[in-house]
Amino acid sequence: MSMLEASPRWTEGHIGIFDWRNVFRSDRLTVVLVLVLAVVGLMNLYSTDYPLASTAMDAGGQARTQLRNLLFACAVAAVIVCFDYRFLLSLAPLAYLITIGLLIYVEVRGYVAGGSQRWIDLGFTRLQPSEIAKISLIYMLAWYLGLIGERIRKIPYLVLAFIIVGVPAVLIIMQPDLGTTLVLGPIALAMVWMAGCRLWHIASLGVLGVIAVGVIIAHVYGVVPYPESAPDLSDYQKTRIQSFFEPDADPTGAGWHAMQTRLAVGSGGMLGMGFRRGIQTHLKYVPEYKTDSIFVVLAEENGFVGGMILLGLFAALFSRGLILARDCPDMAGTLLGVGCVTMLFVHVFTNIAITIGLMPVTGLPLPFLSYGGTFYLTVMICIATILSLNMRKGVPGRPV
Amino acid sequence: MPAQRKPVRFEGFDRRLMVLTGTILLGFLAIAMRLWNLQVAEGEEYRRLAEDVRLTFQRVEAQRGIIYGRNGEREVVLADNRPAYDLILVPAHCDDPVAVVNKLAELVNINGEALLAEVEDVLRRRPFSHVTVKEDVSKNDLVRVEEHAHALRGVFSNVRPERRYPYGETAGQLIGYMGEINRDELARMRDRYRMGDSLGRSGLEARYEDTLRGQDGLMTVVVYAEDQRPQTRTDATGTPFFDHDRFGRKLEEVTARRVSSSPGNPVHTTLDVGLQAYCESLLERQAGAIVVLNADTGAVLAMASVPSYDPSVFVTQGRNIQRAELLNRRPSPMRNRCFQEIYPPGSVFKIVLAAAALETGIVGPQSTRHCPGHFRIDGSGRPWRCWTFDRGGHGRVDMVDSLAYSCDVYFYEVGLDLGVDAIHEYSTLMGLGVSTGLDIAGEVAGVIPSREWKEAEARARGYTEPWELRWYPGDTVNLSIGQGEAAVTPLQTAVMMACVVNGGRRVIPHLGIDNPPAPSEPFLSEETLAIIQEGLLKCVEKETFPSGTGRRAKIEGMTVLGKTGTAQAVAREHYAHYKNEEDIPMAFRNHAWFTAATMGQEVNLSIAILVEHGLAGSTAAAPLARDVILYYYNNVASSAPVTLAQGEES
Repeated sequence: MSMLEASPRWTEGHIGIFDWRNVFRSDRLTVVLVLVLAVVGLMNLYSTDYPLASTAMDAGGQARTQLRNLLFACAVAAVIVCFDYRFLLSLAPLAYLITIGLLIYVEVRGYVAGGSQRWIDLGFTRLQPSEIAKISLIYMLAWYLGLIGERIRKIPYLVLAFIIVGVPAVLIIMQPDLGTTLVLGPIALAMVWMAGCRLWHIASLGVLGVIAVGVIIAHVYGVVPYPESAPDLSDYQKTRIQSFFEPDADPTGAGWHAMQTRLAVGSGGMLGMGFRRGIQTHLKYVPEYKTDSIFVVLAEENGFVGGMILLGLFAALFSRGLILARDCPDMAGTLLGVGCVTMLFVHVFTNIAITIGLMPVTGLPLPFLSYGGTFYLTVMICIATILSLNMRKGVPGRPV
Repeated sequence: MPAQRKPVRFEGFDRRLMVLTGTILLGFLAIAMRLWNLQVAEGEEYRRLAEDVRLTFQRVEAQRGIIYGRNGEREVVLADNRPAYDLILVPAHCDDPVAVVNKLAELVNINGEALLAEVEDVLRRRPFSHVTVKEDVSKNDLVRVEEHAHALRGVFSNVRPERRYPYGETAGQLIGYMGEINRDELARMRDRYRMGDSLGRSGLEARYEDTLRGQDGLMTVVVYAEDQRPQTRTDATGTPFFDHDRFGRKLEEVTARRVSSSPGNPVHTTLDVGLQAYCESLLERQAGAIVVLNADTGAVLAMASVPSYDPSVFVTQGRNIQRAELLNRRPSPMRNRCFQEIYPPGSVFKIVLAAAALETGIVGPQSTRHCPGHFRIDGSGRPWRCWTFDRGGHGRVDMVDSLAYSCDVYFYEVGLDLGVDAIHEYSTLMGLGVSTGLDIAGEVAGVIPSREWKEAEARARGYTEPWELRWYPGDTVNLSIGQGEAAVTPLQTAVMMACVVNGGRRVIPHLGIDNPPAPSEPFLSEETLAIIQEGLLKCVEKETFPSGTGRRAKIEGMTVLGKTGTAQAVAREHYAHYKNEEDIPMAFRNHAWFTAATMGQEVNLSIAILVEHGLAGSTAAAPLARDVILYYYNNVASSAPVTLAQGEES
């Protein structure tokens, strides 16, 4: 034992703002949870690739691609963990300004896909500034709220916080990308809440939000005129909201998908149809079943029990993330963790709620499960940020 | 290891963190409850639904509306739908597919080997899906197949509606035809049309598409999986039903979700098929147009354009060769000569000049001019001929005589006095050179030149010098007898002629009976009309020398007004050297015009006749007007005030 005490473990010791040993000092529980979720996601995606009919198909092709996405995202996450989060936080204003610039650029001359401008074509790959915006906004808010401390209780500082959120939100809603915009709101609310703003401030904001949603729904049904200055909802968005309230109104159109999704989830039962045995999804009755509706596959094949296990894993990950955030030495770090956890939670909750018909369809991916590289990267950057909050714990001789 | 220090936070931080954590867990709880509800509480129900209830929708096509015309008193069908029978074969239902195919080859004219190959292919892969044996089989074939039904198990007939045009070529261009929707139209009208739908492509079919098209219905059927589209068949009434899918499983319709189709609305038209057919027969072997309007309302009674085509060529499948032939034939049968082709109006334009001159007071009822057979502007320069140039002219003539004998010199002088602006104003008022507003798409406006038009036209051709853009008196002289750049459609000419007998109103020609467009307010005075009518009557009635140019249209006991026109298709020097006019090549011959109107009848007609390259209006077109008028009052009008013997020479 004395040998061990005399010569500290190789993972101990601290060097400046960048230390590769941080990778091995990461919180074990979080890492395990992330790995389990990643494996669940890969297997679930692999199941969708499995051809039920005997036609020749490249089985598992997309799962393999997703594995590559995962490995790349892990590599990026490892690099981020090696940095001192306070160094990254100090870069937040710069990153925020660059993000705004990218969002304006994409508005002016972005790459149009599926009717909305969301991409910047870099030649070798396509950049999606709205994904970057999620991360840089969390960092920016954490930096700002850490800077002003308790002054958040005063209205001007609170207003400035929402201006910081509002600028990218407006730019993203113009793309139009309603889903991403709706993520930014809860993130900001959670961070401002944890920064210690006044209770009645946030309560009145919540009331305002409820009123706004009410106005949108009333507008869809033509009850009230929509404020002219506000960006109008596109027809497909109105249809989606309408079909949420009346899924039987148009059984061949928008309501058809909701109906098929409900059938698929419901037929999963308690224990599910079994791995690779989901009928509805394999017969392609459910649209977007590899991306936004991936939860249907899990629910159909693994049933209520499978769904509960997935929820449990996410709940554990988020609780652990909040604990790590709480124990972070400074307030800015705590808020950073709160922001990351909230972002992941909003994605998980919204995605599943949409799938099982608790919310209208907007199109948000499910972390770890949905197919797609860009979003995987976003998720892993969040995880890495959470992991990097507590690197100083147990490092001797260093002030926290 | 130093003891971990608890970070210092504001008061209530821990409580707030608990609220946040609680919110997250509450969200998950909501999801869990919903999942429990869906998967456990109602799971059995959903699983049962998902396992064998998969809904697919089948459209029930609505019947297209019928287009009606008239034949005298009776209303007749111009376009309706007939059942087209397709023979289909379901290999899995055949006891011996080879025998069935052989029997079919014996009964109906098909390629047995090709069918057998197809049947074998289907038998191997999807035995319960059907093979089309022959589309649109004849009644005889169908009866023969039914007689041998005992040997043809597995053979069925499918009914679908197909457009039918009972009168064939008669009024073919007016009725128009149907064609499959294209990609652009589909994108524009996604809510109303599906891939493979037909819609009106020309004529009434196109113009009244919205009226004629019905509202499709919807059938819902339970299938087993996607890609396993149900096999629809039709019963005797043409209603589709589901039998089985292509894998042979029984299918059932969810009758509760059925939405019936509603047929399209009929379109009633003023077109008289008998008159139309007669007009077309008059133009046989020639190219030309006859327009017959009700002069008071503008209702189109006939609008013959020869050559024409049978619209069913474009509707029935497998007639591509005929289609290509129609599209390439010259003179083209695809253009409607009544309103899609323009011709110089020639002397019929003098009616406009007469109206303008009398209305503006340029000439009074008594004023006369001298016609020596030729005319020079200000007495010098190039001479313009009167058509009586060889005979030394008409001598002293007034307005009535000038219209009756079609004196060119009189109208050269009157035209110069009027000036181009007044001529253009009155020709536009009377409907020349402007769209008439006919309720069929594709109408051509034609042109009556004006100062502005000439300048714009010259600039468009790259001329810029002031002397190239200016309007010259010589242009007015040319325009005065309807030559030069003037070009109108026969339909416009009929509208112009209607003004003469309906009290000076411009009518809007129309085929549809519903909501007929109202004529304009009168813009010509009674005095003006009386003089023009006198001239046009003399043109037809005067038989003693010098006779009216339209005397071949004369009908004893009936007031017929008329005006001949002989419009140069090419410049005079191209054909002036031919001694005999039968020697002139077709393309160089003059177009023959005659426009006529009747007065004093219950229904007054306004007629415009154009015979392409018919040489002279008085000989080629005027007799046709007589025939048309006789036919109308003998066969179409219900109570003809005079009984007339058809074909009687006058």
